[in-house]
Amino acid sequence: MTFQSTESGATAARPAQARPAPLFKQRAHDSLTDAKVQRAMRNFNLAGARARAVAEVDNFEELRTAAAAIRDRSLAMLDVWLERFEREATRRGTHVHWAETHEDINRIVVEIARRNAVRKVIKSKSMVSEESHLNQALEAAGLQVVETDLGEYIIQLSGETPSHIIAPAIHKTRDDVADLFHEHHGTPRKTEISELTMEARKFLREHFLSADMGISGSNFLIAETGSTFIVTNEGNGRMTTTMPRVHVAITGIEKVLPTLEDAAAMMRVLARSATGQTISNYISINTGPKRPGDTDGPEENHVIIVDAGRSRLLGTDMQEALRCIRCGACMNHCPVYQNIGGHAYGWVYPGPIGSVLTPNYIGLEKAVDLPNAATLCNQCGVVCPVKIPLPDLMRKLREKQVARGLRPWQERFGLKVWAWAAARPGVYAWLTRLGARLGRRMGGGEAAIHHLPGNGWTEGRDMPAPQGRTFRELYAARKGRT
Amino acid sequence: MSGANARSNILGRIRAARQAGGSVSAAESAAVEERFREHPVAVQPAMPWETRARFVQECGRMSSSVDEVADIAGVPAALARYLAERQLAPRAVCWPELAALDWAAAGLDVESRPARGDDLIGVTGVYLAIAETGTLMFLSSPDTPAATSLLPETHVAVVRADRIVRTMEDAWARMREEARDAPRAINFVSGPSRTADIEGQLQIGAHGPFRVHVVILG
Amino acid sequence: MIVSRCIAPDTALKVGLFVTCLVDLMRPSIGFAALKLLESAGCEVIVPATQTCCGQPAYNSGDRAAAQALARKVLREFDGCEFIVVPSGSCGGMIRAHYAELLAESPEESGRVGRVAERTMELTDFLVNVVRLEHVPGRFEGTVTYHDSCSGLRELAVKSQPRALLAKVPGLRLTEMSTPEYCCGFGGTFAVKYGEISARIADRKCDDVTSTGADAVVLGDLGCMLNIEGRLKRRGDHRTRVLHVAEVLAGAAAASPEN
Repeated sequence: MTFQSTESGATAARPAQARPAPLFKQRAHDSLTDAKVQRAMRNFNLAGARARAVAEVDNFEELRTAAAAIRDRSLAMLDVWLERFEREATRRGTHVHWAETHEDINRIVVEIARRNAVRKVIKSKSMVSEESHLNQALEAAGLQVVETDLGEYIIQLSGETPSHIIAPAIHKTRDDVADLFHEHHGTPRKTEISELTMEARKFLREHFLSADMGISGSNFLIAETGSTFIVTNEGNGRMTTTMPRVHVAITGIEKVLPTLEDAAAMMRVLARSATGQTISNYISINTGPKRPGDTDGPEENHVIIVDAGRSRLLGTDMQEALRCIRCGACMNHCPVYQNIGGHAYGWVYPGPIGSVLTPNYIGLEKAVDLPNAATLCNQCGVVCPVKIPLPDLMRKLREKQVARGLRPWQERFGLKVWAWAAARPGVYAWLTRLGARLGRRMGGGEAAIHHLPGNGWTEGRDMPAPQGRTFRELYAARKGRT
Repeated sequence: MSGANARSNILGRIRAARQAGGSVSAAESAAVEERFREHPVAVQPAMPWETRARFVQECGRMSSSVDEVADIAGVPAALARYLAERQLAPRAVCWPELAALDWAAAGLDVESRPARGDDLIGVTGVYLAIAETGTLMFLSSPDTPAATSLLPETHVAVVRADRIVRTMEDAWARMREEARDAPRAINFVSGPSRTADIEGQLQIGAHGPFRVHVVILG
Repeated sequence: MIVSRCIAPDTALKVGLFVTCLVDLMRPSIGFAALKLLESAGCEVIVPATQTCCGQPAYNSGDRAAAQALARKVLREFDGCEFIVVPSGSCGGMIRAHYAELLAESPEESGRVGRVAERTMELTDFLVNVVRLEHVPGRFEGTVTYHDSCSGLRELAVKSQPRALLAKVPGLRLTEMSTPEYCCGFGGTFAVKYGEISARIADRKCDDVTSTGADAVVLGDLGCMLNIEGRLKRRGDHRTRVLHVAEVLAGAAAASPEN
C-alpha cells in the first residue's frame, strides 16, 4: 500500500519521513471540486450519532473531565506506567520492544516475521503503522499483507491512504467498492452494500484462517496486567489476535493506562464520541501468548511501544495533544474537515488532531498550512472526550511559526502595519476614515465589493461595503454637537 | 542492535521531560502502588435501572436476541426453537460445560469442541454479562475457547442470571474477587459484528458472528 | 453568566463601550445601536476615544508581541469602568477568555488583566444578566433566525440571551435554523487565507439560513455578519437581510450615522 504523494498528483512510494508541504490548498481545492467526495462527506453524520448517545447519560461532561484526568495521570508518570506494563507483560510471556523511530518499527516487525518464517500477514487497524509505512516495508521484504478492517481493506485495494481514522474509506462510494472487488476478487460485480460486505467477509475469512502473523494496533496498554486493549466493531481485532501463530501489537508510548478500571472509564467516552454507541462491539484484552491447554491464541505475542516524536511533546505546551484516544470526534465536528475531507491534510491524522500532531511529529516547516487552516470555532474542543484544547494548540503552533519565521513576509508585514497603526489612535483614525470612504465608493449602488485584490475573501463572496464613515468620527462629531 | 538503546533513550526522554528533573518522589511512588492496589473507579453516569431489565434492553439495542428459560435443562429446546424459527441447520459446537445437556432430545446435533472455520453455530457460556451495555464477557481457557464465539455465523450464549453484573467495573471487581488473573484473552462481545465503512451505512455482519442469541437462565 | 451586584436605583452603571474595529470601520450604526440600548437601560456610557482593536487578529496569527501591545492599550483605556460591554462575541471573548493567557508572562499586570477581563461582557449577556432589560426600543415585522457566533457561544456562553431579548421585540417571530451553532466559516484571517474553504463553509450556513424562509438572519458578531452577508449576495440573495442583534433591539431607526 502506498501513500498518495503530496508533491505531485502521482502515486509513488515514499520514504518514512513524510512531506506534506505546500499543496494543502491545492488538495483542498481538489476535494471541494470533487462532486463524489463532496457527496460522500455529506453522507457522513457521526456528529448526530454522538449527540444522541451523549444525551442518554446525565453527566457526560463529568465523564469527560474524569477521562481527561485519567489521561493526564498517565502522561504525568508515563515512564513508570510503561515500565510496569513491560514488567507485567513480560512476566506473562509477551515480548516487549521499544521503537524510537518509524524505521525501528518496520525493522522490528520484519525481524519477527523472518524469525518465524512468516509469509502472510493480516492487519487490524494501526495508525502508527501508517506513520511508518509498515505495509510497504513488509511487502519489500517479500511478505503478503492484507488489511482486515473493511475500510482499510478497501483503500488497500485502491492504493490510497485513509481519509478518516475510524472510517478510512468514507470518501468511496458503493460503486467504487463494487468496482474494486470485481477487479481484485475476480467475482461478478455486486451492487448492494450488504452483498459487498458479505463478499469482503468471505474473502478476508480465508486470510484470517491462513495468515501466519497478525499485526494490530492497541487502543490502550494496561499497565497492571501487561495487556493490549483493542476495540473494534467488525471482529477483525479478535481475529487478528486469535488466529495467526504470531501476534504483534504496535502502539504509541502515550497509550498506557494504569488499571482495568481506567480503561472502563475511557470506554464510556470513547464509544460515544467515535460512533455514538454505548460500547463498541468487540473489546479484546490480550495478555501474552497461548497458555498451556489453550486451543486458540498466538504462540508468540509481541508488543512494540513507539516513541517517534511523542516523548518530545511531554513537558511542553503541546503535551495535552498526547491525551488523544483516536476517537475521531474532532474531525466529525470540524467544518473544515467536513468540507475538504481527510486526504487534504496530507498525513496520517486528519482534522483538528491532525493539524496539531502532524507539525509536531514531522516538523512545523513541513506542515505550515495545517494549524492555520482552521476557524478556531472550537466545535472540536467541546466534543473531545479528553478535553484537548485543540484551537489553543493550533494557535500556539501559529506562534511557533511566527517565531521561526515560517509565515509569508506579506502576512507578517500586513499584520505589523495593522498593529502599528492600531496602537496609534491618530494614525489609525486617519487610515480608517480613508478606508471607510474608499470602501463605500468601491461598493457602489449595490453596497458590495466584488473583487478585492490579493486575498481569498472575494473568490467566493462579496465584501459588504462599509457605511462610509467611522464610528469614532461620528461619535466625536455627535459629542461635539452636544 | 538498538533495542536496549531505544528503551533507555525513550525512558530517558520521558524522565527528562518530567518536572523535578526526572526523578519520582516517594509520594508519587506510593500513589502509583496505591492505584494498583485500590484500582479506584471513576465517576459513572446515574444508573437508575434494574439490572436484568437493563441487560435485556441493551442486548436488544446492540441487536442481540434474548430468550429466557427457567433452568439449564430448558436450553436445548430453546435453542431448537430459535434455529427452527430462522431455518438454520440444527448443528452446532459447544463449550465443554454445556456438553452434558440433552441436545439430542431437542433434535440437535451438538459437538463439544472448539469451533473451526466451517462451523455455523457456536454455543458458549459466559464468564459474566454486563447490564449497562448488553455485553457478554469471556475469559479464555482450554474449556472456554475464544474461537467458538468468534468464527461461527451464529453465536448462542447461555447466561446464568446471577452472572449479570451492572458495569464493566463491577466485572473487574468480580474477577479480582474470584482471584482470576488476566487470561490470554478477555473478550467483551456486544451483539453481532457490524461495519459502516461503505457509505456510512450500517451493515450487521462483518467478520464476527452476524447473529448473537442470549439465553438467560433463572 | 450571572453577575451578582446590588444596583442602587439612583446610581447609573458606568459602562465602557468597546465598539470593535469592524464596527468602527464597517458598521458604525451598530455601535450607535449598542449605545442607544445601553443608555435606554439607564447606563452611563463611556466611549474611550482612542480605542482601536482588541488584538485578536495578531493573536490568532501567532504574533504575540503585537497582540500584547494592543491588549495593554485596551486595559489602559478601559480599566476604570464598572463594566466593559462589547457588541461582539469574538472581541469580548478575546478580552475575557484570552487576555490572561496573552499577558501571562507579565504577572505584575495580572491584577489589571483579571479586573478588566472579569468585567467584560458581550452586549446581550450584559443586557439580560446585569441590567435585566425588560423592554427594548425596537420593533420588527417579520421572521428572523439567529446564528450563534462560535466565540460568543463557546467562550462566553452566549446562547439564550439574544433569544430572550429578541422575544421582547414586538412583531418579531424567531425561527431556529437546523444548526444555529455551526461555524459560518469566517475565522478571522482564515477567511482571507483560505477563502475557498471559508466560502464553502459559509455556503452551508447560508443554505441553513435560507431554508428557514426567514426575512433576516440575526447575529452578534461583525465577522460572521460580513461573511454571511457577502456569501448571500454572491449567491444572488438580496432578499435575506443580515442584521446585528443590537440593530434589531434598538430599532432600525437607531441614531443615523449620517446626522
